[in-house]
Amino acid sequence: MAEGFVDDENLEAIVTRIEQKSRKIESLLKQSKPVEALKTALEGSILKTRDERCKSANWIVVHRAIMAIKDVDAMLSYLDPEYYDILMKYLYRGLATGDRPTCDQCLKIHEKLTEKAGLGCILRSLADTVNTV
Amino acid sequence: MANSLRLYLTCIRNTLDAAMCLQASLEFRTCLAVFLKLQKLLLQSKVQGYSKRTSENFPCQEVERHNKPEVELKTSPELLLNPVLICRNEAEKCLIETSINSIRISLKVQLDGYFIVKQSDELENILAKKFLRFLSMRAESFQVLRRKPVQLNGLPVEAYAGYDISFLITNYHCEDMHKHKLIDFIVQFMEDIDKEISELKLSVNTRGRLVATEFLKQFV
Repeated sequence: MAEGFVDDENLEAIVTRIEQKSRKIESLLKQSKPVEALKTALEGSILKTRDERCKSANWIVVHRAIMAIKDVDAMLSYLDPEYYDILMKYLYRGLATGDRPTCDQCLKIHEKLTEKAGLGCILRSLADTVNTV
Repeated sequence: MANSLRLYLTCIRNTLDAAMCLQASLEFRTCLAVFLKLQKLLLQSKVQGYSKRTSENFPCQEVERHNKPEVELKTSPELLLNPVLICRNEAEKCLIETSINSIRISLKVQLDGYFIVKQSDELENILAKKFLRFLSMRAESFQVLRRKPVQLNGLPVEAYAGYDISFLITNYHCEDMHKHKLIDFIVQFMEDIDKEISELKLSVNTRGRLVATEFLKQFV
């Protein structure tokens, strides 16, 4: 399954892009726009790579945005449905960390997201072994 | 604290729902105590001819005429789904591994007051271990219980090895029993474990106090 997956030379480009994204997110958070920050964080996620560095770098960025969210309902109504699946995968990654504040926040968002997106969202995050977070 | 427990159990319930592909809404709640009552719940969930099925019968691909729960063997990656680890905090977590014909749920229970008192309570550790061992030894009557908790670390991230108790639900269980009731059983089990261990601890302390009072009366 080499085609469709990103090559090694592009990895550096991806890491640079993630760093740029994190700077943009920091500025959005300073302007108290956590919802736009989360959307930006989810937008550029490269799911087809197998490189752990890219995934961790992206996770750190998304984690920062998730922890800044206060109003979950407003966030979900603002977010496009195409990002629900990616968000659900990141939520499960957050739940696996075991860190108390992260888990609390992820559990809160998980409940609301399941109500909105349904069980199919969870099932896609369980069943998708190709596009992992 | 109660709210985080509710969110944790809701998350586990939804994930199990999806893992077993359920659509029924979950209204059933009763108050059950240990062992015999939990067993009664399990018996209540038995039904004939329930048509909705997902964990399907999948005979072993490698050996003919064999039918094994794929989640236990993990020989063919195409039959397994992503394992999911749901942590409530540093001490309490739930690992859900799904495959084409079976689901394995492993729990690590947190004992009451562990993080508030900031010291490990030996009595609670012993009680929890003995209690869960008691249940695991009688796994036959629970049917979905596994005799030994899962010990291996299946995930690459911070899933510490070692769980306290594990369940194995196969397609045969899903055919015999209502799936939403199976999930109710598991969530009820999680709710009751903490309560039971606290009660046990209380009764041990009470008994100890009574015995000591009686014994020392002769020296007064």
